[in-house]
Amino acid sequence: MSTVAVQQGTKWWSGGKSPFNASYGKVMMWYFLMSDAFTFGAFLISYGTIRFSQNHWVDPNHVFNSFPFAGHANLPLAFVSLMTFILIASSVTMVLAVHEGHKMNRLGVEKYMLWTILGGICFLSCQAWEWTHLLTGQHEVLVNGHLELWNTTVSHNPFGPEVMFNGKEVATPGPIAFGSYFFEITGFHGFHVFSGVVINIVMYIKTRMKHFELRGHYEMIEKAGLYWHFVDLVWVFVFLCFYLI
Amino acid sequence: MSASVTSSEISFHPEHADNTKAIWRTFWILSFLTIVELTIGLVIYNIHKGEHPNATLVLAFKGMVCILTLAKAYYIVSVFMHLGDEVRNMIMTIIVPLCLFVWFIAAFLWDGTSWKNLKNRYNRVDVNQTEQVAPAAKEKGAKD
Amino acid sequence: MSTTAVLHGEDIHAAHDAAHEHHHHETFISKYVFSQDHKMIAKQFLITGMIWAIIGGLFSVLFRLQLGYPESTFPWLEDLLGHWAKGGKLQPEFYYALVTMHGTILVFFVLTAGLSGTFANFLIPLQIGARDMASPMLNMLSYWFFFTASIIMFASLFVQTGPASGGWTIYPPLSALGDASSGSKIGMDLWLASMAMFIVSSLLGGLNYISTILNLRTKGMSMTRMPLTIWAILFTAILGVLSFPVLLSGAILLLFDRNLGTSFFLSDIVVNGKILPNEGGSAILFQHLFWFLGHPEVYIIILPAMGISSEVMSVNSRKPIFGYMAMVGSMFAIAILAFLVWAHHMFVTGLNPFLGAFFVLLTLLIAVPSAIKVFNWLTTLWRGNIRFTVGMLFSIGFVSMFISGGLTGIFLGNSSLDIHLHDTYFIIAHFHIVMGVAGFFGMFAGVYHWFPKMYGRFLNSTLGYIHFWVTLIGAYLIFWPMHYEGLAGMPRRYYDFSGWESFKMFAELNQFISFVSILVFAAQLLFVFNFFYSIFKGRRVTSENPWGSNTLEWTTPVNAGHGNWPGEIPEVYRGAYDYGKDGRDFIPQTEPVGENESHH
Repeated sequence: MSTVAVQQGTKWWSGGKSPFNASYGKVMMWYFLMSDAFTFGAFLISYGTIRFSQNHWVDPNHVFNSFPFAGHANLPLAFVSLMTFILIASSVTMVLAVHEGHKMNRLGVEKYMLWTILGGICFLSCQAWEWTHLLTGQHEVLVNGHLELWNTTVSHNPFGPEVMFNGKEVATPGPIAFGSYFFEITGFHGFHVFSGVVINIVMYIKTRMKHFELRGHYEMIEKAGLYWHFVDLVWVFVFLCFYLI
Repeated sequence: MSASVTSSEISFHPEHADNTKAIWRTFWILSFLTIVELTIGLVIYNIHKGEHPNATLVLAFKGMVCILTLAKAYYIVSVFMHLGDEVRNMIMTIIVPLCLFVWFIAAFLWDGTSWKNLKNRYNRVDVNQTEQVAPAAKEKGAKD
Repeated sequence: MSTTAVLHGEDIHAAHDAAHEHHHHETFISKYVFSQDHKMIAKQFLITGMIWAIIGGLFSVLFRLQLGYPESTFPWLEDLLGHWAKGGKLQPEFYYALVTMHGTILVFFVLTAGLSGTFANFLIPLQIGARDMASPMLNMLSYWFFFTASIIMFASLFVQTGPASGGWTIYPPLSALGDASSGSKIGMDLWLASMAMFIVSSLLGGLNYISTILNLRTKGMSMTRMPLTIWAILFTAILGVLSFPVLLSGAILLLFDRNLGTSFFLSDIVVNGKILPNEGGSAILFQHLFWFLGHPEVYIIILPAMGISSEVMSVNSRKPIFGYMAMVGSMFAIAILAFLVWAHHMFVTGLNPFLGAFFVLLTLLIAVPSAIKVFNWLTTLWRGNIRFTVGMLFSIGFVSMFISGGLTGIFLGNSSLDIHLHDTYFIIAHFHIVMGVAGFFGMFAGVYHWFPKMYGRFLNSTLGYIHFWVTLIGAYLIFWPMHYEGLAGMPRRYYDFSGWESFKMFAELNQFISFVSILVFAAQLLFVFNFFYSIFKGRRVTSENPWGSNTLEWTTPVNAGHGNWPGEIPEVYRGAYDYGKDGRDFIPQTEPVGENESHH
């Protein structure tokens, strides 16, 4: 069957059928993701706007330079790369699950869904570690002429411009917005990952209970997959905005 | 034999070729792009560490990272989310509204830059303070 | 879920729909409360919207009393409002709360949910030929999220410190700092919670509208054969789905600022002599985020009104709508431009003038599609065989309001003029005419026109004519003088003008405006009475198609059940506007094209 010929011969908009050759559920999912893209877009653009309005910004390599069990080794970007890799890998297993669904292979779907859920949980754990590390790690900051120990929180940022004090370089308070936006946006993304994991678990259970096998198609897995890939997509941009530039 | 939704909404069922190969290829492309991004990130880090950071060079590298990110986004949406396999109508209705982001980003960042310039021009007190903190602290340190 | 499966299973357009074959027993709850029938959900939206309109309208009467009679006291106010009106005089804090709530309620709860919620739900399946919305379940949830939002907003009216009072635009720092004003406390939190629910509701609704219009059109109902109402609703839904999330982002950031000590919108602030630690944020950023929604929002209000008016005018002129494709194209252009012009609300915030110039240009461009629409409406009326039904009068009134309010928009779009006119009564006059009254006129036109389809009875037309003329003349008498006040520099949101020498000359004019506004409010109560009276006692509709209309909703039985058509869904062979063609009064969309038929 030549798919292209069918596509060209079809009057897509004439009514009585979907102009996208897709079920309404899939169309809805795509438009929901567009809408969510605007939510995240607004967050990241706000972050950019505030960043552009500051004379000084934080160098991400100074903030994100640690790795679990690596002590005080200076490993900029290493941990976040691992997180990115985990999320991409879980995206791959998700798309493989969708493919097994097309082939009506229930056991295959189950296998890959489990891997995806595992990937999501790993990512969330990594994020929990990173947050804990930032919230509890203390840094020396020069405040009003004396040194204080600050954590990185939504209202404190110990990574400001460095000045000489008592013969050594110390940091001054940096722009508050850095921590605020970091925790807000990664938190909102983490919430999406979390809900994605929950959705995937539900889908796994439904697959286990042969709901989709009886229904004759695995479209729900496809829709859950769209959501999961979107979460991965957002992370690509979060990674860019907070860690790379 | 592929199974799909049967309803009057669907006009034809695309053949789902066994393209696991394409998925794994995309996986390697994404990993490779991420590694390139990381390398550039480390290059930027080293430029910053140097004596005289070259602002233009940093900006150029940051631009490259942005382009690489867009490439990653393209692969995720087109292969993983299967948008590339959908009919053209669908692709256009998804992509075209996203063009709104161009003006959304441009206007916001433009105004942000403008706030910085206004602050630096009119908020002299603030500028003096940040400029003076450093020498004052140094003097104090020297006396102690 | 079972209904969903039944309606949208394998054979959605199948000859005999299962939902109709077996009339499963419907309880009161499943028929009137948790109904999944789009027609019932539409009525729920309409009646909730009407209740809100009465509350919001009552608020405007209360603060107009203060503005018109600043020196007088009304002892009954104290009986009614307690400490908010000590000694029979509104307290300033309460005045601001009233203004804020009036704006919030009418913009979001009445003219967004009440207008597009009603007509999108009611008309989409009926006019495109579908049994129901794509997902009746989500549709029901959409209403119940709106209902939850309503309850929260209503509750906020009764908290001790009063409801939100920083204006419907909730600009920080008033909205971000609990200590800023009495309305910034729990009232503001409730406002944000309510809006979050509202955004979810509008998202669920919008996704449903879009996918239904795209996927579930009946055979032959191509996009260019759809009635303009459906086009308008489609663009409205797209605007809502893409712009409300930006408000959601702004609201989430605001919640963080309020409760977690972040500084997204706060910087260098002193409250009660105490310097706050916030630094680096920007209150203007919130305005950007707000207006990125806020501007599309005004088109979310006006586009359905445009669609309804187009449809009603064509039917009652017995003429095809003039320039169908131009109408669709101009709505499309308006929808695109809606996203590009938000910062024209912010010309006096210190916006970069160079950036502002782009916004001026894009804003003035909106005049082009708007003018196309206006001329198309006028030419539709031209030499038409006009039936002055109440719905038709409201449609013509809509065009009148749209012209009057739109012209002042051209003034305001120029940044140089806006610097003078910003935040004066000129703005109040502009947006009340072009968005408020015009939106209401579109809504009234729709209610009068489709009431027979909704309830199987007509609204009383004598009461309708009184309602129309009082509202039309009253609205102009209220808002026209405000242009002069605004040009003289009278600022909006002031509690009392009697202290200013320069505004004393407007004292009598203000009194006059207040008097007329009470009159117009009374006329709306007449409409509400007419509405509920006619549901039970109105003249019965005897034929399926009382207006002689082409569109599909009039091919259903007078009181259609869930599923709309008892038999097969009709197929469509022509556009929606074949009126007065080849010597025939009207040719329904379901009639196949004849061999010798002329082309329009």
